[in-house]
Amino acid sequence: MRKIPARALTAAVAVSLLAAGCGGGGSDSGTTSDGRTVVKVALWNYDTTPEFKALIEGFEAENPKIDVQPVDILADDYADKVTTMLAGGDSTDVLTMKNVTDYSRYATRGQLKSLDSQVEALDKASYSGLDPFELDGHYYALPYRHDFWVLFYNKALVKPTGADLSNLSWADFASLAKEITKGKGTDKVYGTHFQTWRSPVQAIAAAQTGGDQLGGDYGFFKDQYELALDLQKSGAMMPFGTAKSQQVHYKTVFESGKVGMVPMGSWLAAALLEDKAKGVTDVDWGIAPMPQIKADGKTTTFGSPTAFAVNKKAKNPSAAEKFVEWASGPKGAAAIAKVGVVPAYTGDEVQKAYFAVKGMPSDELAAKAMKPDAVNLEMPVSDKTADVNQILDEEHELVMTGERSVEKGIEEMNKRVKSEVQ
Amino acid sequence: MTTATKPTTGSTGATGPTGATGSTGSTGKQRRRRNTLVGWSFILPNFLGFAALTLIPVIGTLLLAFTNWNSYTTPEWIGFDNFRRMFDDGNFWTALENTTWYAVGHIPLTLVAALGLAVLLNRKLKGVGVLRTAFFFPYITSLVAVAVVWNMLLSPELGPVNQFLKFIGIANPPGWTTSTEWSMPALVITSVWRDMGYYMVLYLAGLQAIPGELYEAARVDGANAWKRFWHVTLPGLRPTTFFVLVMLTVSSFKVFDLVQVMTEGGPGRSTLVLSQLIYRQGITQGRFGYASAISLVLFLIVLSITLVQFQLQRRSER
Repeated sequence: MRKIPARALTAAVAVSLLAAGCGGGGSDSGTTSDGRTVVKVALWNYDTTPEFKALIEGFEAENPKIDVQPVDILADDYADKVTTMLAGGDSTDVLTMKNVTDYSRYATRGQLKSLDSQVEALDKASYSGLDPFELDGHYYALPYRHDFWVLFYNKALVKPTGADLSNLSWADFASLAKEITKGKGTDKVYGTHFQTWRSPVQAIAAAQTGGDQLGGDYGFFKDQYELALDLQKSGAMMPFGTAKSQQVHYKTVFESGKVGMVPMGSWLAAALLEDKAKGVTDVDWGIAPMPQIKADGKTTTFGSPTAFAVNKKAKNPSAAEKFVEWASGPKGAAAIAKVGVVPAYTGDEVQKAYFAVKGMPSDELAAKAMKPDAVNLEMPVSDKTADVNQILDEEHELVMTGERSVEKGIEEMNKRVKSEVQ
Repeated sequence: MTTATKPTTGSTGATGPTGATGSTGSTGKQRRRRNTLVGWSFILPNFLGFAALTLIPVIGTLLLAFTNWNSYTTPEWIGFDNFRRMFDDGNFWTALENTTWYAVGHIPLTLVAALGLAVLLNRKLKGVGVLRTAFFFPYITSLVAVAVVWNMLLSPELGPVNQFLKFIGIANPPGWTTSTEWSMPALVITSVWRDMGYYMVLYLAGLQAIPGELYEAARVDGANAWKRFWHVTLPGLRPTTFFVLVMLTVSSFKVFDLVQVMTEGGPGRSTLVLSQLIYRQGITQGRFGYASAISLVLFLIVLSITLVQFQLQRRSER
């Protein structure tokens, strides 16, 4: 008698395992119960990244036969997770390319579908951020958003100085930052804040001097480092060590009115709009063009596009392509411009929609800032990028904390990139 | 159970010609085999899990160490190239040096702190339970929270630690996690603070196992508190100390989480440890072969240190 339950149990377990296996396969058939084609999109932080919702809802409204389902992944783990998914032969239809480096990795491994015909059909004159996605004449992703760096400023702190922000050199910027700085202790107001990343120093220097961040010769960083260290020493910028150990976030210090000017990516605008709507902050903010190294009247900054790609193993490739095309085209651009995100497609209509967002600064200065003459890629793409990035990051920290002089730091960067990167 | 054995004994009975003694011998053998099978069946569920999740991956790692693999292509056998590369890799040597420094700081300090706490709290005092819990608390606190809070405490300008140091007259307090000189001590302090409560509990258990008569006898012989500690407590704690030492060594050499959250290996490479290098090379850069090679070396280091400890322990027991 005792054996029967044991056998029954084993059988039950086996059957349920089989059933679970089949069930898993069954629900993945690519269509919903009411017959709509399912397009799964790998993306990050769905709840706090309004652009995804805007795109998905906008697309579904026009394509009622397609059901777009987000596959939500934690932003910090996004690249690792997608890598693992692809290695496992996952069939998620659309993959969001968070940055160009990851894109080139997936594309060169042959995991993305070619989108050459879609690129050919594009209106390239009003489309930016496409170039970095070209690999040997082919394209495997279409950018839908193109963030670039601008100068955010606190109107209450900057206006009294009467400064004109439309054409700042970095030297003007530094003296203005010092002018704004005031107070002590907890009342201290800093003229500016550089996030502890290396980009506010290194990527800007590269973009505006034409220097190559993969080249192994980093003399062109020198002036920008001296500027940043001088700002820090004069007290116009929070010391790097404090910012790092306290994990100071640019948004928090800017929103609390503790800092006058923050060079930052255009994504900050969307976050500020949202926080202001929620009542988290009442900071009166504006956007100005990035300060410049060369005084030729042109605005050069850096940025990085975000794109959608179609998985080579996509379950519903044609519906996926349709989504990607729509999202990166004028309609998708209009949808995300409405939530304060800078689209890759920048027709006049889209610009209008962007500046019409409630709370978005719409003065001439903002208009100029949002139309830079050149947007260079934040970091060039190659198989060396990740290694060089690591080295430049480490040495950046040492220079900014004063552990190494600018000269010694640059020397070390040159040496390490040449010897360690294979 | 009986139903299961009946037919088998019946069948051996039927083969009969070997005679009565042979038959009992074979049932004995069968019983032993059955017992073995029962034993196996008891550990099988656990062993299957262990094999699938630990044993096979470990063997896989050993093999991967001799390949070039990015998790997409088929692994390519490259012999000792990964080890040659490691030998030339400045990051590997820096990480090895840093890991050793961490271990040299973390092991003795935690050991002494845990032992001290255990001796202090191994008496009948009012509120001793509360104190024991308080010291154990850091160990069960989320490591990320520990790292973030200690980072703030040790912040060079605004941190309470440096404010206090300035208050007592130290004009130039250390930069802690923002200076290459002090970042490792900062990590060691944090990890000692976090771990000492756990090892204190182990020591408390060890202390309670020392018979009270030994102390009484020592006292009768006129031994003072220090002598009693040195000649009764410490020898009595030897098995515990050995266990703590081995555990501490292993945990020190594979330290990862605290460093990753608190300093990310910085500033520069001043706190880059081996596990972090393995993570960077493997997960971040996709060089699984090279990362496996480093982890193999790390494994061999820990293994050889532990073997030496076992040898020393055996010798001292003789």
